[in-house]
Amino acid sequence: MPEPEQPARIALDCMGSDRGPQELVAAAAHLSLRREDIVTTLVGDGEVIAPLLDASTYDPRRLSIRHSAQWVDPEKRSREELERKQDASILVCCQMVAEGQADAVVTAGSTGAAILAAERSLGRVPGVRRTALAAVTPTELRHGPKQDPFALLLDVGSTVTVSAEDLVAFAVMGSAYARIISDNPRPKVALLSNGAESHKGPSEVVEAHALLQKMEGVEFIGNVEGLDILRGTADVVVMDGFVGNVVLKMIEGFGEVVSDLASDTHGRKFLWRLGLNMLSSGMKEIQSLLDWESYGGAPLLGFTQPVIKAHGRSGSRAVANACKVAAKVVRSDMAATVERAVCKLPRQGTS
Amino acid sequence: MSVTSKVWRHAYRWDLDKTYLDTRFETFSELVRIPFQGAEDKVNIPGSAALLRELSLAVEGQPDAYVSIVSGSPRQLREVLEEKLRMDGVRWHEFHLKPQLRNLRKARLKAVKEQVGYKLPLMLASRAALGCCPRETLFGDDAEVDAFIYSLYADVLSGRCGAEQLEGLLSHVGASTAAKQKAQRSVITLKPSIAEVEPVETIFIYLDGSSPPALFEPFGPRLVPVFNYYQAALVLFARGHLDVGSVLRITAAFLQADRCGALELANLFQDIVRRGHLAYDAMEKLALAIQDEGLGSETQEVLWSSARRMLDLGDLVASTRAPQQAVSDYVQLLTQCKEAQRTHQLRGEHPTESGGPQA
Repeated sequence: MPEPEQPARIALDCMGSDRGPQELVAAAAHLSLRREDIVTTLVGDGEVIAPLLDASTYDPRRLSIRHSAQWVDPEKRSREELERKQDASILVCCQMVAEGQADAVVTAGSTGAAILAAERSLGRVPGVRRTALAAVTPTELRHGPKQDPFALLLDVGSTVTVSAEDLVAFAVMGSAYARIISDNPRPKVALLSNGAESHKGPSEVVEAHALLQKMEGVEFIGNVEGLDILRGTADVVVMDGFVGNVVLKMIEGFGEVVSDLASDTHGRKFLWRLGLNMLSSGMKEIQSLLDWESYGGAPLLGFTQPVIKAHGRSGSRAVANACKVAAKVVRSDMAATVERAVCKLPRQGTS
Repeated sequence: MSVTSKVWRHAYRWDLDKTYLDTRFETFSELVRIPFQGAEDKVNIPGSAALLRELSLAVEGQPDAYVSIVSGSPRQLREVLEEKLRMDGVRWHEFHLKPQLRNLRKARLKAVKEQVGYKLPLMLASRAALGCCPRETLFGDDAEVDAFIYSLYADVLSGRCGAEQLEGLLSHVGASTAAKQKAQRSVITLKPSIAEVEPVETIFIYLDGSSPPALFEPFGPRLVPVFNYYQAALVLFARGHLDVGSVLRITAAFLQADRCGALELANLFQDIVRRGHLAYDAMEKLALAIQDEGLGSETQEVLWSSARRMLDLGDLVASTRAPQQAVSDYVQLLTQCKEAQRTHQLRGEHPTESGGPQA
């Protein structure tokens, strides 16, 4: 009997996304037909998920459903929702991973709920005080041996208030993640600030700068400014979750606005239309670079097991890409790599 | 011994292409090669040969099972196909192939493709010739209109579809006068009447084209769409057609041909359970039966692991399936069936391939 390779087992939270469970079911159905290395468990209301699945083309060998009667409403406070709803889909996903029934969680639901559920069921890597959400963003310069056209930003929304030590931990985790995901042995790491000089920026950034300069194992290149993010000066850009989220949403919005403006302009004057048509292949390339759906999900770094957060507005393509990222992270044993990197940090108080 | 003079414990009717044999082709040259393949070149759908073999096995103290094969393949392939079935260790009582050359010679081009007017009269005549009335289980696929033909056959036998309706439908599909007369004669011989026990117990539709299972809901709970013959074996075990040894042998054959482990088997089990064709505790019964059997095979280990995974996933509320209803308009059902398949094939149903840098 042939020994099948072990597939990556993904617990996919089907509830709580902006576009409803149909996009998540469609993504899982699609993956079941195309990716033998991924087995997905759809977690959520079975009575909603099952008919959606039955109306799809899918391969049942690589799909199952785990019923959970509750889900976290993204409009409400995540902590209270999770306290009230012990059978919430995101909690069930994290428990499945904790109990060894799945290898990774993918969710398009509330980020706060994902963090709280993961903290409750999975726990953080020893030495990590705060977790970070790491997202990729397109850049002008290419990165690493694969010449990837994107850089890693973290944190983009997990931790709003950070200390200098947290920023250092983010730098270490981001560097470890970039080494795996981009096969980049020495990713260049920078802190986002309002100037390249080491004394520029809020106190935690100044302090983190000093700590990182002394740290071995991280290729720290100093501070970068906002304009350097899209230029691609650094492979990994570190910031707090508040600034990171604003930056990420702005970049996403920029891509959408460029596309909308081009469509609007196209209809106005014949000459403009002609010009845009001549530029169409270049425009398409820029559009695809700025297309966040093709970048998959953002990993929540710092947990003992992989948790991938997809955008709340994710369609099936974005969710499928998030699952592919999860599979890659599972195969690379990223949590262990991050743990090894973080254990070299000076010990700090945890909260 | 003549088939009419025997009592049969059950009748199993099989289609061949895309149901028993994997005759999918991706290129024109593969298509052209099919008629020239030898028996040894023919490839089974994983588990099909084992399932048919196990179903036709003699059971102590019980009459034999009747095996009928009705295929749309041309008669010129009989020698090769019979040789293939013999190689697979399958025994059969009747084997019909389509007179495609005759259809072409008489320029009956519609008849070359049309299946309702070919298969249905043949199946009715076969049933009439049996003399006794065993219950039946039918095996087809989603590539053509097997679901429709088999459901109509079942409804004719159960008296839900009358001779007049049948005549109208055969005229609609352009069946020959001879085929229509053959069907009518059979109906007269069979004298169908509405009975408590359905003559056709189960219709298995193998989802060769990966159609969505929901496509077959209009045919009612009698029709069971299966993604493979492991799922069919589970249903047949639960319905008393197969013993635990047979299930293990079919599972072993399926695992041999398919890239599956315990995780995938558990998922397949859950799929058929949640679609309402099998009870959740069937896995427990199977596990207990394996324990009683005392077998220590690799297949047994895989099945045990898959049972554990099933428990992890928990009981899902299976979709409630309404009892089998009479079809009011078969012509409309046939049109819907063809339309739904065409729409599904055209739509493709997949999100755009990503190509994203992280993917």
